Amino acid sequence: MVIKLNKNEEILYQALLDADAISIAKNFRSVGLPTRRNESYHYSDLKMLLDNIGQIATTATSTGEFAFNIANSFQLQIVNGEVQILGDKPPSGVVISTSNGGMSEPNKDIIAQLNSALTKETLHIDVSENLETIIQVDRCFEGKAALHNDGVEIYIANNSSATIVEVFDGSSEEHLSNSASKLILGKNAKATHIMVDISSKKTRHLQTVQYEIEQGANLHSLIIHAGSSLARTQLFANFNGENAHADFAGLMLVDADRHSDITIDVAHKVPNTTSTENFKSVVRNQAKAIFQGKILVAKDAQKTDAAMMHQGLMLSDDAQILVKPELEIYADDVICGHGATCGELDENNLFYLMSRGIEREQAKAMLVRAFLAEIFDPITNEDLYDILAGIADDWLKE
Amino acid sequence: MLEIRDLHVSVEDKEILKGVNLVIPKGEIHAIMGRNGSGKSTLSYVMAGKSGYEITKGEIILDGVNILDMEPNERASAGLFLAFQYPIEIPGVATMTFLKAAMNAQRKARGEEELSTPDFMREVKQAAKMLEIDNKMLKRALNVGFSGGEKKRAEILQMALLKPKMCVFDETDSGLDIDALRIVSQGVNALRDANRSMLVITHYQRLLNYIIPDVVHVFSNGKIVKSGDKSLALELEEKGYAQYDESAA
Repeated sequence: MVIKLNKNEEILYQALLDADAISIAKNFRSVGLPTRRNESYHYSDLKMLLDNIGQIATTATSTGEFAFNIANSFQLQIVNGEVQILGDKPPSGVVISTSNGGMSEPNKDIIAQLNSALTKETLHIDVSENLETIIQVDRCFEGKAALHNDGVEIYIANNSSATIVEVFDGSSEEHLSNSASKLILGKNAKATHIMVDISSKKTRHLQTVQYEIEQGANLHSLIIHAGSSLARTQLFANFNGENAHADFAGLMLVDADRHSDITIDVAHKVPNTTSTENFKSVVRNQAKAIFQGKILVAKDAQKTDAAMMHQGLMLSDDAQILVKPELEIYADDVICGHGATCGELDENNLFYLMSRGIEREQAKAMLVRAFLAEIFDPITNEDLYDILAGIADDWLKE
Repeated sequence: MLEIRDLHVSVEDKEILKGVNLVIPKGEIHAIMGRNGSGKSTLSYVMAGKSGYEITKGEIILDGVNILDMEPNERASAGLFLAFQYPIEIPGVATMTFLKAAMNAQRKARGEEELSTPDFMREVKQAAKMLEIDNKMLKRALNVGFSGGEKKRAEILQMALLKPKMCVFDETDSGLDIDALRIVSQGVNALRDANRSMLVITHYQRLLNYIIPDVVHVFSNGKIVKSGDKSLALELEEKGYAQYDESAA
């Protein structure tokens, strides 16, 4: 079956044919970009929202600037989809390599399929020690508006640990970036994985994140949207081994008429695993924030403990926050919950701060930062904490 | 000096304050006593600039300036301080961050330099010592997990640091045991100053054993119905408010 493709879909279809990705092209020809009829894109109809899709980005003529510098970090850059290995050699216990083409075994989601087919080069980061150094990967976009695809595969070996920070920092052009990240946590491995979109306001940012969590592993995942006009992160996590734990957190700071979507799908496939989801969004003007969370507990996954929470803060009446939780539970001895709140700043709190001399705007900023404390407080690296909290402060001052 | 002239205030078309007149000269402590629901707390909120109150008539003049058109923060910078009956808990805002922000905001409004961190720490330590405030309390989020007494002491600490010209205490004694009442009162008395006026709002005479007022006003049905010296408080304690309900009606 084929459908009528619009001009943006035609560009993507042609790109798939040019990349010789025949089976994905055939699939795309039959479904096109996801629409609201697709449940996980219900509030982010990409067929409607994505316009002016450019041609595949050409090789950049220069390397980009790093968005920020964290003390004691090892920095890598992907510019226009190509990996740039700069400067020093990686720290002990880290192997950096690249492979041609996209991610192995991509998710069957069509955006992930497109990414896999169109990515020229995948960056591999293999960690086999307890790493003090933070690994930072910046995606940069150079030149005219284009279509960017890239992939990062991270493997944290058994009993190893690392903090990985991925930064998306587009140029001022109307780029569309479709990124993928896969993080595999070996037995008893630990990882903090932070993804920050501070792209320019014209950029459209799509990211697919895949986690494979093995026995005894511990993950702290944090997604921050504070840039693109359209940002959508879809996260798929699989608990494959017992006694593993993951904290999924996210923050959407959305203003003007921007659109931000975090859709997360966590599968507890084995017994005795636990997860928390703590997502917050702050919206103003006519902005829209969307959180969709799904927790699947398989039949054998007894003693799963999973809690999902989204809290929204509306700074204007015209903004929107759309939240959809979904629990799919097949086991009978589990703890699973979800909650959602949505509100404005408390006038009594504002009055109290102002009654001590603090100006309204500063008082508001203090209360918003207070609302966000749960997101930033788990970041134990002070330098990283200051950078991330600074992103929120800058957004509040805009 | 504070002067309230013929102040009328309504909430949702119901008149709560019905012509309040009050003059508190520099350096004096005045007490307003009245039963629950007489409009005492409304008066304190209107002074501090809380929204939701419609001022239909009157003025509040602080040192020659009508403060009714000012934002709450501008009133604070002009020297007004309200010690809340129920200090607000704000999770996520660190007490020290808040204190520094408040002090610097007021300094900025007065065109003064911001406080350096060492100077700020020194001032907080001194004031905290006087009020028997534990350092641990200062490390917590603003008023979060504070006992009733700790919250009131934190209010007085803020007052000590902000050095206002006009302090309003709204039912500061409510929820305090005798020990806490003593500490809070000591703090207030230590801040008595020839340039600082105070208004103590309460419905028990008890607080006035610790903070001795120059003038006592009886508040009933939205206005001041009688004024006198401190013996008026004792008389009220003995005879109750009922006699004034009639005269106000």
